[in-house]
Amino acid sequence: MAIHSKIAGSVLVITALSLFGGQPLSAQAHDVDVAVVVQSDTPVSNLSLAEVRKIFLGDRQYWSANTPVVLLIRAPVARERDVVLKVIYQMSESQFKQYWIAKIFRAESASAPKVVYSNDMANELVTALPGAIAFIDSHDVRPGTKIVRVDGHLPGDAGYPLR
Amino acid sequence: MPSRSLSLLLVLVLLTSAALFAQSSPPSADQGQSNQALLERIQQLETRLSEMEERQRKQDAAIAVLLSSQGTAEKTAQVSMPAAPATPATAATPPASPSGVQTAEHDHSAMHDHAEVREATIHYPSLQIRGFGDVDFSATDQKGTTSGFNLGQFVLHFASPLSAKVSYFGELSLTAEPSTYDVSVERSIIRYDYNDYFKMSFGKYHTPIGYWNDTFHHGAWLQTTISRPEMVKFGGTFTPVHFVGVLAEGSIPSGGLGLAYSAGIGNGRSSLLSKAGDSGDINDNRAWVASVFAKPSRLYGLQFGGTAYRDKLTPLPGLSVDEWISSAHLVWTKEKPEFLSEFSNVYHRDLQTLKTYNSQAFYVQLAYRLPWQENKWKPYYRFEYIHRPNTEPVWDITGTSSVLDLVGSTVGVRYDITNYAAFKGEYRNTRPGVNEPRVNGAFFQTAFTF
Repeated sequence: MAIHSKIAGSVLVITALSLFGGQPLSAQAHDVDVAVVVQSDTPVSNLSLAEVRKIFLGDRQYWSANTPVVLLIRAPVARERDVVLKVIYQMSESQFKQYWIAKIFRAESASAPKVVYSNDMANELVTALPGAIAFIDSHDVRPGTKIVRVDGHLPGDAGYPLR
Repeated sequence: MPSRSLSLLLVLVLLTSAALFAQSSPPSADQGQSNQALLERIQQLETRLSEMEERQRKQDAAIAVLLSSQGTAEKTAQVSMPAAPATPATAATPPASPSGVQTAEHDHSAMHDHAEVREATIHYPSLQIRGFGDVDFSATDQKGTTSGFNLGQFVLHFASPLSAKVSYFGELSLTAEPSTYDVSVERSIIRYDYNDYFKMSFGKYHTPIGYWNDTFHHGAWLQTTISRPEMVKFGGTFTPVHFVGVLAEGSIPSGGLGLAYSAGIGNGRSSLLSKAGDSGDINDNRAWVASVFAKPSRLYGLQFGGTAYRDKLTPLPGLSVDEWISSAHLVWTKEKPEFLSEFSNVYHRDLQTLKTYNSQAFYVQLAYRLPWQENKWKPYYRFEYIHRPNTEPVWDITGTSSVLDLVGSTVGVRYDITNYAAFKGEYRNTRPGVNEPRVNGAFFQTAFTF
């Protein structure tokens, strides 16, 4: 009887966690803002969404005369990539690929954005590569990097556009 | 009690002696071979470990040099420290304690991070090659033509950053001819970037007149339709497709208007009007081109601009013609919808007779990426128009007109079977000349990049 009541209790707890704990956690994960992150000594702290778009379209290629922009973007399926394609590029996955092939071979850009496979890798490369800029889940941003305001907003602010 | 202790001591001595004897006795042949094999294996592993450590040390040193050369010595030190070369002691220490486990994991993680940094760091030169090809079928009711397949252009594009600020772009095409292939260097450009506002390049370009010629290069996959508009077709003469010289380009500080410019000087048309002067100019007069365009940030996808081009043509001895080309374009590059439009006026002035001639051409193209079936379908329509004087000293130089007074419509659909290959089918109705009968044609193409 005691064992049965323990099992029943466990089932109840698991069910309750699934219903009231799991769902909000999952929803919360989808609501996390995507931060625009640069190396701490990159001379930028606030960009408009249009400027972020210009940078990620490869139309602005230099932070300063000596510091080229190095674009980092998550590999397909990552939520950060989905947000970037939807909000910044406003393109589908195939349009994005075609865009960069055309861009490079129009001689407008020497290379496409570098693909990163995790937020850890994005953090690491932003720290290591001068001029690097990446989109990282705001919960995963490591100290030593700099979060750029977008349209004056930081991740978590009302009106922050990258979510 | 002492005797018991003594006997115990004796037993211990005997056992120890026996063990020592057993150890010092010569091993059997099998044991000897096994020991030798084990020793060799240990030696191999030690050698391999030493090699890996040495390689890691060299890679870390290379990264440190590379990053410090880019003005980030401080950052390099921070990044390199965690992945300092693993000492033999560290590498050999077994994970016997939690701290040992952490050290090993930390080293592994640091090595992994460094591998990622190494992979992401651009190495110079860094050549990228992309090929384009297409296979076509055409059938028209124009007299004297035959229907059938033809192999389109086989095109290779090359892009290679030579340093953080210098890059090279090249384009090579192979076009099927009746008895051979015509090999042509379509573009060959070396570019130095000073910053976003000033980039200077030298080489052979697609002349930055208007939109299409500067946006869609060889490789039919890049463009929505099967063919280029007549006014900018390869091998055509209405506007000079190629330009050899020097070009400056960049952004113009203009806030949300997104202005940019390009300006160049070089060899214009050669004696063969459709070709540029790759091997030298035909006269002492250089052609120049200047264009300004805008990409307003509030209207992402919109681009509009204008171009002016000037040259002096001497296609035949005794014939000198001033050429002025003015062009304007307005495009919406998103695919829902895609809208391309472009207009050019070509002004020629015969310097002997002082007669002037103006020819105009434009096209309007509308396409829409349908939302169904994973956005694979893209129907399109294009109207194009060329008007030219009845007599023209440049277009009629060979006795046959190289520019037709043309009105045409094209309707078709593009189906992207993958991200890198597409089928296209289109119907064209064209009036190729004043009072000429209309020509109907069906065209199919599979275009791809690889």
